[in-house]
Amino acid sequence: MNEPRKLRVAIVGCGQIADAHLQEVRKLPAAQVVAVCDRYPDLARQAAERFGVPGVFDDVGKMLAESHPDVVHVTTPPHSHAPLARQALAAGTHVYVEKPFTVDAAEADAVFEAARAAGRLVCAGHDQLFDPSWLELRRRFRDGELGQAVHVDSIFGYDLSGSFGRVMFSDPGHWLHRLPGGLFHNNISHAVYKITDFLPDERPRVWATWFGDPDRPSGPPTELRVMLQGAEVSATILFSSRARPVQKLARVYGTKQCVEADLDARVIRRYRPVGAPGPFAKIAAPLSDLSEATRSAARNAWRFLRSDLHYFAGMNELFRQFYRAIRDGGESPTPERDVRRVTAIMDAIFATAREGQPPAAVGGQPAASANGRPATAQEVVR
Amino acid sequence: MTALVTGGTGFLGRSVVAGLLADGWRVRCLVRVGSSVRPVRDRRRAGGRVAGCTHIFHLAAEMRGATAVLFLTNVVGSRNLLDAAVQAGVERFVLVSSLAVYDSGRLRRGDCLDETCPIEPQPHLRDAYTYSKVVQEQVAWEAHRVRGLPLAVIRPGVIYGPGRDCLSGRVGLVVGKYVLAMGGRQTMPYTHVANCARAVVLAGTAPNAVGRAVNVIDDETPTGRGLLKAYRRAVGGVRSVTVPGALVPVLSGLYEWYNRRSRGQLPAVLTRYRSRAMWTPLRYSNAEAKAVLGWRPEKTVADGLHETFDWLNRQKKVATTATG
Repeated sequence: MNEPRKLRVAIVGCGQIADAHLQEVRKLPAAQVVAVCDRYPDLARQAAERFGVPGVFDDVGKMLAESHPDVVHVTTPPHSHAPLARQALAAGTHVYVEKPFTVDAAEADAVFEAARAAGRLVCAGHDQLFDPSWLELRRRFRDGELGQAVHVDSIFGYDLSGSFGRVMFSDPGHWLHRLPGGLFHNNISHAVYKITDFLPDERPRVWATWFGDPDRPSGPPTELRVMLQGAEVSATILFSSRARPVQKLARVYGTKQCVEADLDARVIRRYRPVGAPGPFAKIAAPLSDLSEATRSAARNAWRFLRSDLHYFAGMNELFRQFYRAIRDGGESPTPERDVRRVTAIMDAIFATAREGQPPAAVGGQPAASANGRPATAQEVVR
Repeated sequence: MTALVTGGTGFLGRSVVAGLLADGWRVRCLVRVGSSVRPVRDRRRAGGRVAGCTHIFHLAAEMRGATAVLFLTNVVGSRNLLDAAVQAGVERFVLVSSLAVYDSGRLRRGDCLDETCPIEPQPHLRDAYTYSKVVQEQVAWEAHRVRGLPLAVIRPGVIYGPGRDCLSGRVGLVVGKYVLAMGGRQTMPYTHVANCARAVVLAGTAPNAVGRAVNVIDDETPTGRGLLKAYRRAVGGVRSVTVPGALVPVLSGLYEWYNRRSRGQLPAVLTRYRSRAMWTPLRYSNAEAKAVLGWRPEKTVADGLHETFDWLNRQKKVATTATG
């Protein structure tokens, strides 16, 4: 029997994240990258040369016409996500869009509309939902270990001391500053989709405030705090560029126990009621932590020995599921409703954070307090 | 004569600007506010910066980060600046490239690396910085050949001096204060920032510099082992393990095999190709720089290292005071 034809993948936008896409697609036997495209030909050429990609383009239309991809990965800055996704869908390809999916919910709607019209699938770059530690947390929730979800704490640290931070601070014309949510817009979806995974509401209430780094009084906001409230589940987001260590983790509080997925350490931590009485609880609790930490260390060491401790494991799994859905005619691993809710909540976060401060304070002074009136995701979209 | 200096507030740029001013040049400088070369990434802005300048000294470069980040600055930015320079008809364009562009991996132990050595044919197999600098030079030489740009290229070795740590990848793999020293007998192709800056300034006016590339390395540079020893004695705080020279290719081969087998679980920082290029003991010639530019490395290595170690110790004190 013949092997099924490999999916032909094209990548539009050859910046830093494109490297991860090229690297992870290469690991999948079901797909091959046939073309890369960037408005700067030098960037497209370097990506093609390093990853052995045959097609090199600086024009998306030409790339779609000449290399006939089955799937286009959009890895450009966010402003161009929606137009490029629609262009690719109109050309009959499936589309993977890096985070943030679009600049706002209206653009997201337009992309999904185009996908329906073309009969093609759309996948959002919500890759951390497919990270092994997050999948394990989900499994425990499904198995009833947490009980019902009560609250989610989603923590996202962002290190601005590297070259990206340097460029962002030094260049007032950087595309980040043109996004409604500035720096946060580019990354906050990672924190939001971990919440919407447990918070099913269409219109949660949203409070948000942002402020700058006191050491950079004239700089843009770099700290964001958010609270969300749904009918049964609440959530907070701590987005910090100053706090160390730089963390990517989320803690889900249930009616039975609390489970934390630490995506950097790729471990799960459990917080559960201790049965021992009085002072013995203070001995039993750390002993329980110790035994769990030992198991986690052994598991990760085993993964390392099996060469299964890759940084972009979540992205790899998401690609795998998306390509399988394309081949088998299934649903996208990132459902439209979820992607749309994430985008609408992001709109609400940025709107309330902006509203909560006079424009003069956006330059960096901490706001005295957040705006008292919460927005709903729906309000902001309308 | 009016000079435009890109990266003028960077490590090398500060010394170049001071040298130009001392020689009586008018200097226009692209000011660094965190990133050295951002302005030249914009083609339209590049034209405005060049207008009215007779000479361009293009020093700005991104040295760390992803390949795309380095390309955006070192290649796309340079392309814009080169276009603007051709259109403005400047009298000279001095490009500060790097000694890394040579195909040094093809040389054998003890060979001399000079300007006759071919350029790296597969720079994408080396490292992102080398790759971006090789392509940057290709773009510049094309502007020279096809469009007549009066180009002079300086290829410095590792530039050191007060203001920058002098433990570089030429010693071995440096991770923070941990060093995996690769051999120890290899000569460090170093140049003190003041010496290098002098060469750059001279390249702006030396009559025979156009159409040539010259290597800038100081005289009597130390070996890897000598540098590490002096560093530990004068500054301290470094933990190092030395891989004997003969084992470097073996270790690199093993690591490369593991990297492939584990599908990149550990980054490809060590490959046979790269280790041959970086750590083969070679000799380095600076005869061309002396002949073409009339350059002499006035700062001796002993003095240069001494003041660099002093600076590093002062930095340590500042850090201690700040945290204490």
